[in-house]
Amino acid sequence: MAAADVRRDAETPPRNEASHTRRVSSWREHHGWSAGASLRRLAARPLGSLLTIAVMGLALALPLAFYLLLGNVQQLGKALGQDQAINVFLQPDQAASQAQLLAKQLGDRSDVASVAIKTPQQGLDELAKLQGFSGALDALEQNPLPFVLMVQPKPGLDAPTVERLVSDLREMHSVAQVQDSGTWRQRLDALLGVGDRVVIALALMLALAALLVVGNTVRVDIASRHEEIGVLLLVGASGAFVRRPYLYAGIWYGLFSGILAALLALAIEFALSGPVARLSQAYDGKLHLGGLPLWLLAVVPLAAAVLGWLGARLVSAWQLRKAV
Amino acid sequence: MGDLAPCIPYPCRDTAGSRRGRAVIQFDKVSKHYDGGHEALSQLSFTIPTGEMAFVTGHSGAGKSTLLKLLGVIERPSHGAITMDGQNLAKVRGRGIPKLRQRIGMVFQDHRLLMDRSVFANVELPLAIAGIARVERGRRVRAALEKVGLLSYERQLPATLSTGEQQRVGIARAIVGRPSLLIADEPTGNLDPQLAVEIMGLFAEFQQVGTTVLIASHDLPLIKRMRKRVVVLDHGRLVADLAAEEVL
Repeated sequence: MAAADVRRDAETPPRNEASHTRRVSSWREHHGWSAGASLRRLAARPLGSLLTIAVMGLALALPLAFYLLLGNVQQLGKALGQDQAINVFLQPDQAASQAQLLAKQLGDRSDVASVAIKTPQQGLDELAKLQGFSGALDALEQNPLPFVLMVQPKPGLDAPTVERLVSDLREMHSVAQVQDSGTWRQRLDALLGVGDRVVIALALMLALAALLVVGNTVRVDIASRHEEIGVLLLVGASGAFVRRPYLYAGIWYGLFSGILAALLALAIEFALSGPVARLSQAYDGKLHLGGLPLWLLAVVPLAAAVLGWLGARLVSAWQLRKAV
Repeated sequence: MGDLAPCIPYPCRDTAGSRRGRAVIQFDKVSKHYDGGHEALSQLSFTIPTGEMAFVTGHSGAGKSTLLKLLGVIERPSHGAITMDGQNLAKVRGRGIPKLRQRIGMVFQDHRLLMDRSVFANVELPLAIAGIARVERGRRVRAALEKVGLLSYERQLPATLSTGEQQRVGIARAIVGRPSLLIADEPTGNLDPQLAVEIMGLFAEFQQVGTTVLIASHDLPLIKRMRKRVVVLDHGRLVADLAAEEVL
């Protein structure tokens, strides 16, 4: 370096030497460097990094597994509910024309999917098929059974709506009795409501746990590099510059653990697929239990990356406040 | 060196262009107390004009390092004001601190190099922090390494270098950002006399091109040999302020 160069250098005000464009370019370059350097640091201590990612991944997979279970119980409840038609027993003196008129009226309701009529003879034939009844039925002089309307509520109705439908049916003039499975459906809905809350609470708690895991890992990382941080600050690095590699480390931890959590959830889903198929067969294929939606599997790693960034951001801000 | 000779008292004669004659550093009744009541500096007042090279000396615990820490905003004065180019350092806060430090080159006795990065990467740090483009960074880093005689070592890790070479890397890192002020805390403390003279020669060269240089050292023979202004501290008090020609 010639003395003249040094003089020219010395007389150039440092704060104006880089244009805005250059600064943005350099800023992007440092982001790239930070992302790469933090990834290399993770790879440099594979066991520690894998343990951190495994702990976070398991913590995030747990609410996903509960979500999967809850979703399937909901599906199961709906599927079983579909088979549980409301049986409406008409007064014994009701004629076939009256039964058909009532069936049409009910079929027009917005909360009713379909109405099937079971004639007294059909009822009698069913009873005849049951072991031990044939002899007793032969002794009857006339068919004592009434017309029965099998009302199928619209799928997806909540318990209060079905309850209202049943209540309306009971109040009908020509109806003698209504058989409904609404009580168990109501209980199941209540249980699923509790399950929803449990999943949300669990997800929040385990997200907090994941945040703390990342935070602690980054804290240890910062503590082990405090001399480097001191040097960077002394040569003019801003807090943001120093923090950047640690924030990327948090993002990597979060992203990888989110991917692991999604893979674990898929593994659970795969493990359940066999028993679910058998259960579905038991219901003549009417039971379709669902897996985790694709959008959720895509969102989990991204959300985990944000979580990792947040944990690293909080801890690094606190740690760097103590630095030079 | 005649034209650039420091002059006491301030203001000195303007012999090196428009930048000279303006106080770059001014200590005005500066005191520093640490927790527990220890007084590291007491009512310290002196001025160092732009482009001057000066030594701060005194026995161990005299306050030399504290003085440099105040300039680097590593410590804050308990009383008084320190100004650099008219800017009161006590009032610099937040994002102002890194901006200020980018204008100061710091050299340490223990070098403070990043041992897991190459010589090039160490010297490049201040430029990367300042947002200098990659090509320009490369040019300047090589120029700085050439200046300290370490251009061929740019790919090596600092641990493979001798103590003197590591110190020169530290100096290259301090000057690569074109600081207006270069401060050094016992930069020759770990070096043999011959190397110490070489390092001091480097500082003198930077002063000759307009950089203000302030060096804390207790190596009196070396200070006498350099024949620069000397500020003498004793228990945090200014006991002597000798112009170059007064140093014997």
